[in-house]
This record gives sequence, C-alpha cells and structure tokens, in this order.
Amino acid sequence: MKVVLLALLTALAARAAAVTFNRQIAPILFQNCAACHRPGEAAPFPLLTYHDARQHASQILAVTRRGYMPPWPPAPGYGDFAGTRRLSAEQVRLIAAWVEGGAPEGDAADLPPAPKFTDGWQLGAPDLVVPMPRSYQLAAGGADVFRNFVIPVHLEETRYIRAVELRPGNQKIVHHANIVVDRTRSLRRRDGRDGQPGFPGMDVTTESGAEFDPDSHFLFWKPGSVAQPEPDDMAWRLDPGTDLILNMHLQPSGKPESLQPKIGLYFASRAPTRFPMLLQLEHDGALEIPPGARDFSVSDHLTLPVAVNVLAIYPHAHYLGHRVEAWATLPDGRRRWLIKIDDWDINWQAVYNYREPVALPKGTQVAMRITYDNSTLNPRNPNHPPKLVRNGNRSEDEMGHVWLQVLPAKASAEDPRLLLQEAVMRRRLEKYPGDFVAQYSLGALLAFRGRQREAIPYFEAALRSQPSSATARNGLAAALLADDRLDEAIRELRHTLQLDPEYDNARYNLARALTAQGDAAGAVEQYRAYLKRQPEDAAAHLNLGRLYVAQKRYDEALPQMQIAARLKPDDADLQTDLGALLAMKGDLPAAIAAFEHALRIDPSHKVARANLNRARAH
Amino acid sequence: MDAMPLLLLWLALAAPNLLMPRGEKALVLLFVRADCPISNRYAPEIQRLHAVYGARGIEFRLVYPERGLSPAAIEQHRRVYGYTIPGVADGDRFYTIKAQARTTPEAAVFVGGRLVYRGRIDDRYADFGKARPEPTERDLDAVLAAIVKGRTVLFHQTRAIGCAIENEP
Repeated sequence: MKVVLLALLTALAARAAAVTFNRQIAPILFQNCAACHRPGEAAPFPLLTYHDARQHASQILAVTRRGYMPPWPPAPGYGDFAGTRRLSAEQVRLIAAWVEGGAPEGDAADLPPAPKFTDGWQLGAPDLVVPMPRSYQLAAGGADVFRNFVIPVHLEETRYIRAVELRPGNQKIVHHANIVVDRTRSLRRRDGRDGQPGFPGMDVTTESGAEFDPDSHFLFWKPGSVAQPEPDDMAWRLDPGTDLILNMHLQPSGKPESLQPKIGLYFASRAPTRFPMLLQLEHDGALEIPPGARDFSVSDHLTLPVAVNVLAIYPHAHYLGHRVEAWATLPDGRRRWLIKIDDWDINWQAVYNYREPVALPKGTQVAMRITYDNSTLNPRNPNHPPKLVRNGNRSEDEMGHVWLQVLPAKASAEDPRLLLQEAVMRRRLEKYPGDFVAQYSLGALLAFRGRQREAIPYFEAALRSQPSSATARNGLAAALLADDRLDEAIRELRHTLQLDPEYDNARYNLARALTAQGDAAGAVEQYRAYLKRQPEDAAAHLNLGRLYVAQKRYDEALPQMQIAARLKPDDADLQTDLGALLAMKGDLPAAIAAFEHALRIDPSHKVARANLNRARAH
Repeated sequence: MDAMPLLLLWLALAAPNLLMPRGEKALVLLFVRADCPISNRYAPEIQRLHAVYGARGIEFRLVYPERGLSPAAIEQHRRVYGYTIPGVADGDRFYTIKAQARTTPEAAVFVGGRLVYRGRIDDRYADFGKARPEPTERDLDAVLAAIVKGRTVLFHQTRAIGCAIENEP
C-alpha cells in the first residue's frame, strides 16, 4: 500500500513538474507578447496558439533569456512605469523548462482563453482622421530611414486634443514615431524636396510662435503601444492651420514597401485648465566624442523653481548612446531615480509613463547623464572606423536628451510654466554663455510678464550674438516702447524693418511708437502699410481710425472704425467710439444705434450710456 | 570543426532529388524562413550575391526549413521579396541536417559536394537588436570570391544571427 502511494505521489510530482504550453506558457505569452505578436501588428509572427509558439520555441527561449524580448530597456528598481513589460526570472525559467522538456502542449483544460484585442482604432472612431497626403516608398534594402512627414490638419476652429492615435498603415516597417506640432508651419518648406513626401532627419525642431505656449505632451508611438487619453482638463490646443509633423523611424523589410499613415484625433469637450510642460535636460554642445572612447559622457541638471509632478520621461540618444541615467536630488539630499537604461538601444526608444506621478518639491535638482561608446566594440557605431562625433540630427551624429513631462504646481498668480521656462533658459545660459536663444527667450519671458525694463539687457545681449535677428531687435524695440524710450524704440524698429521689410509686427510697433511720439502723419503711413498686408487686424483699423479722428479727418476715420467694428462686433468700446464718430459727422440715428449696440454688449458701459443720453436729447 | 563525413555528404548530395552541381563551381544553400524579419531583410543582399556569382558559375538555392510550408507559399514569398533564386522546401530537414544549419538566414557553401563554409552572410547583425548600418565583414562574399578565383577554401564557420530553425516533431 505504501509503495503504491509513493508511486502515485511521484507520478503526481512529475506531472506537476512538467511545464506545458497550456498551463504555464500560454499565460506568459498572452500577457506579455500577444499585443504585438498577433496578425496585423508589428511583430513578424503571431504567438496566440500552441502551434504558433511551437514553431518558434527555441527562438522564444533565446530572446527571453537574453532579455531582448519583450523589449523593455529600463532597469528594474529605477522608476516605476505603467505598462512595464518585463518577464520575471521565474517566467524565463518556465520557458526554458518548457523548451528543454520538448515544448509539450499539455492538457487542453489548462489553456486560458486567448486575449481579446480591438482591431483598427484602439480608442474607437476618432473625431478627425488626418491622413498623410501622399504615400512614401521605402526601398527594399539599405540602412534604417529616419523621415519626417508634413501632415496639414484641416480644422474650422480651435480644438483641444485629449488623445492622438497613429495607424502606421504598414506596421512591419515602422519602428517608432513621434508627432510634433508645428504651429507656425515652419517645416513645410522642407517637404518633398527629394521627390518623395517628407524630409530626412532623426530629430526636428519647429519655430515657435510669438506667444508663450511650450510643448506639453509626448505624442509618441511604438509597436504595441495604445494611446492613453488625457483627462479633458489636460488636453492640448490645436489651432486651424497647424501642421503635424510625423517623425518616423523606418526599417527596410527586404521588399519595397509603401507607407501612408493616418493620425486619429480625439477632441476634449472643453479647454484645458491644467498645463503640463516638457522639460529638456541636454548638453549637446559638450558632445565631442573622440574615436575609440568607450565611456564618454554628457550630463545636465536643473533646479526646479516650483514643485512639479513628473508624469513621464523620454530619453533620446542615437547609435553611440550606451547608458542613460536620470535622477532627482530632493532638497533634503535624498536621491530618487527617474530612469536607468544600461544598454541603450535607439530601436526601442520610448516614452515611459510613471505608474504614479513622481512628486518633486520646489528646489529639487533633476539631473541626467548619458554615456557613449564610440569604439569598434559598439556594433551599432555608424562610423567604421570610428571618428569624432558631434551633435546633429543625422543618424551618424549624436544627441543626448532626457525629456520630462511635468505638471507644475501653481504657487502664485503667475503661470508656473513661466518660472520653469526661465529656469531652463538661465541654465542654458550657464551651459552656453552668450547663447542667443537663452538671451532672447529670457528677454521675451520678462516682457511677457510685464517686466519690460528688465527685458531690455537680455534683448541687447541677444543682439550682440546675432545682430541680424529681426525678431530680437523687434523684441528690444517693443520693450523700449513699453518703457517710454520712444526715440530708441523708433530707431530699433526702423532698423528691424531694414532687416526684414515684411516683419508686420515690427511695422505695427513702429506705428504705435510714432503715435506715442506725436508723429501722426508718420503713424498713419505705417498703419496703412501694415493694413495692406494684415487687413483683418481690428486693432490696427481702430488705431488708424483714432489717428484720423485726432486729425479731424472724419471721412477717412469712419470706414476704418466701421471695418474694426465689423471685425470685432462684441467690443463695447469700439461701438462707443464708432457712435461718437457718427455723432460728430451728424448721423445721429446711426450713432444711437451704435451706442445701443455697445450697451447690449455691456449694459454698465458708462461712456456709451452718457453718449446715448446726449444723442437722444439732441 | 564539425567532422562532416565528406564521402557520405557527397553521396547524399548526389541523391536523385538533390541539387547536384552540374559542373558548377559551387553550390550555395541559403536557409531562410518566410516569417523571419532578419532573414527577409537580407533578400536584397542575397539577390546581389546571386547576381554577382550566379553569372560566374555558382549555383544558388533558397532552402525553406519550415515544416508544412506549401510550394505555393514558397513561391509567394519568393515573388514578394524579389527572389529569382529557386526555392526548395526542406520540411523533412534533409538539407538542414546535411549543412547542420541552425538559423535563418544562414549560408552553406559546397564545393564538389564538400561543405566549405557555414554561417552568416555578413556581420550586419552582431546580436539580436544590434545591427550595424553597413556590414564590415562580408563573409559569404569572400568565400564565393575565393572560389571563383579558383582558390582552395578550407572549411570554416561563423555564427549566424537570426531566427532559430526549430527542431519540431
């Protein structure tokens, strides 16, 4: 009896020890692999059935044992990220036991249901689908291609975007993609010069507009990633006339391929009230990596002027990048790791979202260090033999960036992003003394915050490094104008217009400056020139109208006021001015109508009320 | 080095259904898998080698070791990837075993039925996910160049990076 029991127990133990597909392996593959390894997705073969897995069993073991699959470069214990895709040592051991045991299928009753996936748009039908206008043809062979596609968005009105989803169209060749918002359409002119859609380059920089509107979201796609919608109050603004730039890493497949991605936009119900911001740690200017160097590093740091929550992190380097580290030193001296990647691989670069936001108090220093291997031992080295490498956006150049998406805490009435931007630019000035961008940005930031007098020396410094910058000269002039230094402002504005006669903002500023100086004739001339190019600018029509009134040229003033009133029908002051002008010209019924219009907009408008009473009494 | 019984191999390769060198200088077997991205990415390079050395008397064959891959699927794969090299189904692993191939893509070069090279096409892939922008060693090209120059090539092998040829039941 005892012998029988022992034999039974041994048999049971052996059965328990046998690792089968259905019992232990299928759950691992379904959970960690199937998102990409399924039909229509990026991976080269599906892993949804026993047959699928059996055909690739030793391959699965080889790549999981080495940690190559599933691709998850961050080191464990250095940041807690959402969607972490890393097998445990136990899971890898199970795969090994399964393969070495002959990869048995096991008992059908053990098989869990296969995971369910949504086909097509993962977030449902988008509110707006923006396709790439023309398809791009990728050659069968050769090195990887880094290409940027300009995708115009046709919008009737400003929208707020809570999610962006990319359908690459040809999953097998798209390794990753970034979407860059080009508010000034600054990259259109580079599009299609070589006969194919887009233009080459690993990284793109757009020109920002006049207003302070820093980038706020990572719009990143990689195979297997599902777009995460933002809460509506953290959506980002998309204006009519904006271009989206699709920055893509393409891998030739061995046959000619055609690519025509689509971008799906999901609208938020309202304008955002919370504004994240992207902070960049970098020191590209220090990137001079000698040939053969295995341990060259660059680093950067930034002390936070406000408390922030770090939402996500995006490291970026090219083929020489080897190790990426980023951490925060809290005011009490404790170190908190943000990320560590020991074997950087551009092919698997990604945005990593923290499972919980990382709260960093004011005064925390965030820092990064990226180490490069420019030796022949780095197989990805683009140069053979290695050569001196500097920063640049070709794949044979290097970069070293760690971007943080932070949500700053509001500590005063002021937008905390302005304080962050100022800290970034002051740090930039430390790294690059005399740097034009830093000096100009600091000037523009101070001017934006109404501190015109403090802005002047920064604009002057910016002009010392780039005397031909019309933008900086206009900035200086506007600050001088606000500080009532009229003669100097006018001199700088005339100089700006010599540099760039089509700089409309400078011409507008010149008209204002001449008005303030009392040169009405000169101001009229400038406003007229300005309005030829900007006929829809209500404020310019109004100002010109007022100048004519001051000169008692009522006949010329009236059409200007009427155009302004048409362009801005909801402006009570404007209607009141128009009414006053009409009254002066003797057209009392029209004047009364204008005053009444003003009072409908603003029933408490005292001047409109007084004028209406006088006109009626007449 | 693998002790390949040369006479046996010669005989095996001379079997009726086999690719027997018909007076060609050499035979190159290229092991490929239709679902292997590394293997597929080599298609233009394999065709390039064929264009250079096929014209100089070297015979090329694509060998598909996948079990159950139909002739139609092989033809479809060849067409899509622009192969003009004839394809051979090797579900029974005849050539795979003869060449002791373990990976796709992997090359095996026979001269007069004697295996002289087995391994990578070039060193573009140093490891999984570690690809050079351009290869620095073109191993197969060098072997074939030596053969067309009439040099004696001694057996050597290299490690091919790619997809495993599974030892399926």
